Amino acid sequence: MSNDVLRGNFQTRDKVEIKQSEETLEDRFEMEAKKRLGGSIAFVSKKKVMWDTDKK
Amino acid sequence: MAKILLINPTVREEDVPRHVPYGIALLAAIAMEKGHLVQVYDENAWRQGDETTKAVCVADDWDIIGYGGITTTYASVKRIARIAREYAPQAVQVMGGGLLTSLPREMMSWIPQVDVGCVGEGFITFPEICDMVDRGGREFWDIKGTVSRKPGGGLIMSQMRPLMHDLDSLPFPAWELFPLEEVYFKNSQVLFSEEGMLASRRLDINTSYGCSLICRFCYHLGIAGDMRYEEDENGDLNVAFDQPGTYTRSIRYHSPEYVGALVKHAYDKFNINFIGFLDENLMTMDKFSGRTWMNDICNQWHDLGFAPKANDDGTWTGIHWAGTSHATLCTKEVLKTMREAGCSHLVYGYESFAPHVLKTIGKGATRESNLRSFFWTLEAGIRPVPNQIIGFPNEDFDSIRMNMHAWDDLGIQVKPHFATPYPGSEWFTTYRERISGQYDGDMERFILDLGDASSISAVISHNFNAVELLGLREAMLQLNYRRIDEYEQIWRKNHQIPDGAPSTLLSENMTGAFLRDADKVKSAIKDSERQDAVAETTGAASTH
Repeated sequence: MSNDVLRGNFQTRDKVEIKQSEETLEDRFEMEAKKRLGGSIAFVSKKKVMWDTDKK
Repeated sequence: MAKILLINPTVREEDVPRHVPYGIALLAAIAMEKGHLVQVYDENAWRQGDETTKAVCVADDWDIIGYGGITTTYASVKRIARIAREYAPQAVQVMGGGLLTSLPREMMSWIPQVDVGCVGEGFITFPEICDMVDRGGREFWDIKGTVSRKPGGGLIMSQMRPLMHDLDSLPFPAWELFPLEEVYFKNSQVLFSEEGMLASRRLDINTSYGCSLICRFCYHLGIAGDMRYEEDENGDLNVAFDQPGTYTRSIRYHSPEYVGALVKHAYDKFNINFIGFLDENLMTMDKFSGRTWMNDICNQWHDLGFAPKANDDGTWTGIHWAGTSHATLCTKEVLKTMREAGCSHLVYGYESFAPHVLKTIGKGATRESNLRSFFWTLEAGIRPVPNQIIGFPNEDFDSIRMNMHAWDDLGIQVKPHFATPYPGSEWFTTYRERISGQYDGDMERFILDLGDASSISAVISHNFNAVELLGLREAMLQLNYRRIDEYEQIWRKNHQIPDGAPSTLLSENMTGAFLRDADKVKSAIKDSERQDAVAETTGAASTH
């Protein structure tokens, strides 16, 4: 397996390597919870929280 | 030789990437065969974000950056075009696929970075564009099947590109340029059958082009003989697809020997254990060939030793496979033959079990043929995948209840799609103004809103709005007849339709128009003892 995201029939001038996935525990949790969303399964997606409550 | 970067745009971000883009893999193989220098960036597979797309664009001095796909890649394609223009300004940008083909003039207007669009089939057009760019030419209007920009502004559509006839001259797709081990094989599983569930090294193949039927919600990508060129109201050349009363088709398929060699190549090189047929409708080809094509493909499976054999531990050797069938065009015999060669599941677009709805959708199927094929398939040992759709123009409370009863009786577990007028389909043409009206006249917003029809976009039902369809689908899933009966009373009151009268607002004229064409499909299928009957009736031509 190659680390290069480009695959072809010649060598490119620059190599573009795969960025390793930076999945956090938070990402993983939210993805798993979303699969079972409904009924008592509910969660807060922290990246979408509007922290500045005064504006509301 | 031209230095070409092909980018596969991101699609269905809510799911993992599951399918190597067959068209791009073929175009890459064709371009390499012609001697060009080709690289593929599979953005959909890698999902590395814009920074990587930018890095790819500056990784070399590209002569051409090509991209395209199905309609739902629109947002991604638009973003890629913008990045490519900024980071690789020297590259000629080529766009293709069903997305460009369905609305070539609109796409060229909405995505100004595109230099040339490949309208319809790209097997000949794309390499001709590559050759022209390599020679330093930019007169794309001299190449058939293109839409390009006039030097002084405006668009030029060149002559229509005829469909390719010698399909077996195509090279095998360049699967090796895609991240099979890193991405695709990990997502091989297809939850349509036990064998599909256990697939661990799946590749997809496409062995035919076209479909003899006129399902009004279908778009055939301009490669099924469904596309014509016509002058629009401004006198400009533009594409036209199925319209009420006007249907054209070209039925083309690879030889069984090509299919066998392709599968053998996939097995020898990538050690695959499952094949997904991407074909629009395998049964059209089988009927067109005089019932020899599917049988011969199955023989190839046996001859090459790919027909699965069960092991004592519940596993098996060989290559299982799956594809698409059709309720009226399949036979009990062919299903049995397919199962013996390793077919695990077949997708049926049953769409509805309501006779009055089935009559209007151009499918050439009836409630009876749906039921017959359902049991034939089960009896053959193949799992039927019974796709359903709600929200058809004449969907009403009766059809909803008929579907629920059928699901209940047949053990069908399904969450139906919503009838969606994808560009290029007959219903897009029929309902264009109505669709536009739902997006304040902004058709680009509609394109951006399109998904895989499991969520709702433009509504073409005459009887129900989006909110009603969403609610009705929920009640259907719960088989909650009581709620539906209750809501029907409210609906009738709101629309002043008395009890006993049909629960529809669709005019008789419109229903009549749908039924007239439906009779045409029905007679074509009934008359199918002669292998060219469908072609004669729908204006199709066969090529093999």
